[in-house]
Amino acid sequence: MAYDKKIGIYPGCCFQGADEHNYDLILDFLDKMEVEGVLLERAACCGGGVIDESNKTVTYALNARNIAIAEKMGVDLYTPCNTCYMVIAKSKIALDNDPEMKEKVNKILAEEGLEYKGEATIYHTLNFLRDFVGLETYKKKITRKLEGVKVAPYYGCHVLSPEEISLDDPENPTLLKEILEPCGVEIIEGYQDENTCCGHHAGYTNPDIRQKLANKPLDGAAEAGADVLVTPCPLCHKSMDAVGENEPVLQLTQIINVACGLSSEKAYWDLNKKKVGMSFSSCAC
Amino acid sequence: MANILIEIQRFNPETDDKPFMQTYEVSEEILKGMTIFDALAYIKDKIDPTLTYRAFCRSAICGSCAMKINERAKLACKEQILFHVRNGKVVIKPLENAKIIRDLAVDVDEALEKLKKLKPWLEADPKKVPDSIKSESLVLPEEFAHYDHMTDCILCMACYGMCSAEKADSNYAGPFQFTKALRFIKDSRDGVDIDERVQLCVDNGLWDCVQCQMCLAACPKGITPADDIQELRRYAIASGDDSMGAKRATTWFRDVFATGQIDKFDLPVNAKGDTKAREEMEKEFRERGIPEERFRPQPFDGIEGLRKFIRKVEEEVN
Repeated sequence: MAYDKKIGIYPGCCFQGADEHNYDLILDFLDKMEVEGVLLERAACCGGGVIDESNKTVTYALNARNIAIAEKMGVDLYTPCNTCYMVIAKSKIALDNDPEMKEKVNKILAEEGLEYKGEATIYHTLNFLRDFVGLETYKKKITRKLEGVKVAPYYGCHVLSPEEISLDDPENPTLLKEILEPCGVEIIEGYQDENTCCGHHAGYTNPDIRQKLANKPLDGAAEAGADVLVTPCPLCHKSMDAVGENEPVLQLTQIINVACGLSSEKAYWDLNKKKVGMSFSSCAC
Repeated sequence: MANILIEIQRFNPETDDKPFMQTYEVSEEILKGMTIFDALAYIKDKIDPTLTYRAFCRSAICGSCAMKINERAKLACKEQILFHVRNGKVVIKPLENAKIIRDLAVDVDEALEKLKKLKPWLEADPKKVPDSIKSESLVLPEEFAHYDHMTDCILCMACYGMCSAEKADSNYAGPFQFTKALRFIKDSRDGVDIDERVQLCVDNGLWDCVQCQMCLAACPKGITPADDIQELRRYAIASGDDSMGAKRATTWFRDVFATGQIDKFDLPVNAKGDTKAREEMEKEFRERGIPEERFRPQPFDGIEGLRKFIRKVEEEVN
């Protein structure tokens, strides 16, 4: 839908295959925030921290190209994925601090009619709501409260580390709580392993490590009495939903979309492996 | 001025069943200008002589006083305590991934034993290092620049104490250990075969790192173990390593070159020969009515532009 505010949706692998509904989830979320999402066509994989294992410069260059596509369209770049956010934001810092590399990359980008200026902002759901939409405006979009639901917020690593790209105070992050509280949920904080990595990126290097790590925050949240763990990151979500044994997991946009009036089916709760088996007294979904 | 609550994890393995938190209240006036180290010394001197921690130089060089400040590993002597007050308090705990000796002091021996497995010393290359004291072993500034920052490691274990892979598998060598391994690979005077050094890394968990970036945030010297691990993985791939991680990296690059995206449908097969995972995915796709052309990413219009771009970056920017 056309709104006054526009943002470029960066097409990462979290919108692919079994996760293709994540793209519709984000379109609905942007619609609820009254922001027009435009797909950054021809954008490529951020590298996922894996292209670096072949060639780090290619990672920087791919993301110069991704940002340049957004800049050509006159929009900022938005991704819900923690890792895409971190890799793109780190690449931007590397490019902005290395004029020689920037110039060489721009010379090649010119062949596709692109130029990396470094002017577009890199948004993730957390800073998108805080800085692009504004938390006060966001609160006004919420139409119903999910009362009585105990939620364990889980940031995931790549929005807090490394510090130069951190979206909140790593020693006391509050942004996720500030986003979840207006949904009417009860926040469970300080649970065991709330800062432990979900292990997603070990899925194809050492699956045992992934399995062990994915269960740690879930077990901590369950022990602290949380009904559900909520993360902004589709990769953390995938990892925990696939291998976690007890606690259900929701993506942040899945809970926001329901709080903004969509049914749980329309927010793709039914596609989660572990079903969120709770009733929401004041939720009409 | 208000009082600040300093919450410290205590544990004496001889008398306590498990660690517990103890709160000390100190006025902000007293804490003004103090580092965490100073504050701990103040508590030990004035309030509780039983508080145990390890510290020495006060200058961020001996590496003794790494601990978790508000869940993030830092050097106690490098941090002003009042900068770390959150909601009126500072929470101090020992590093993770190491046995607690008492309170904030942890046992570093296991981590150092793992470091030794990676041969963290120079074996002189006779072609570079003269055997006579009459001539020097020259390291040119441009050669030293390749590993200069890695030599700043003070073995404080801050990175190790935040490491996610370590939490999952205590056999994993650890972040600073791998940075040290890379430091000697990069040293122009070293005579050890690079493949031998890389194999030691592979054998000690090079592919176990989850790239969580916690070590980058933790290092008080700005060293970048997670990035160094990526570089060691580049060496491993170049030396012909065929582990699952190496296969993931090569298939990832190939997929992005072909379509602009990774191919998550074929990744289980390409990285680990897991046909079952792909079969399950296919079953799910068919049940959900996902058409076959969306099983895998398709090249976007103008993909030739991306391919040319990647090739030129490899040739002209590296």
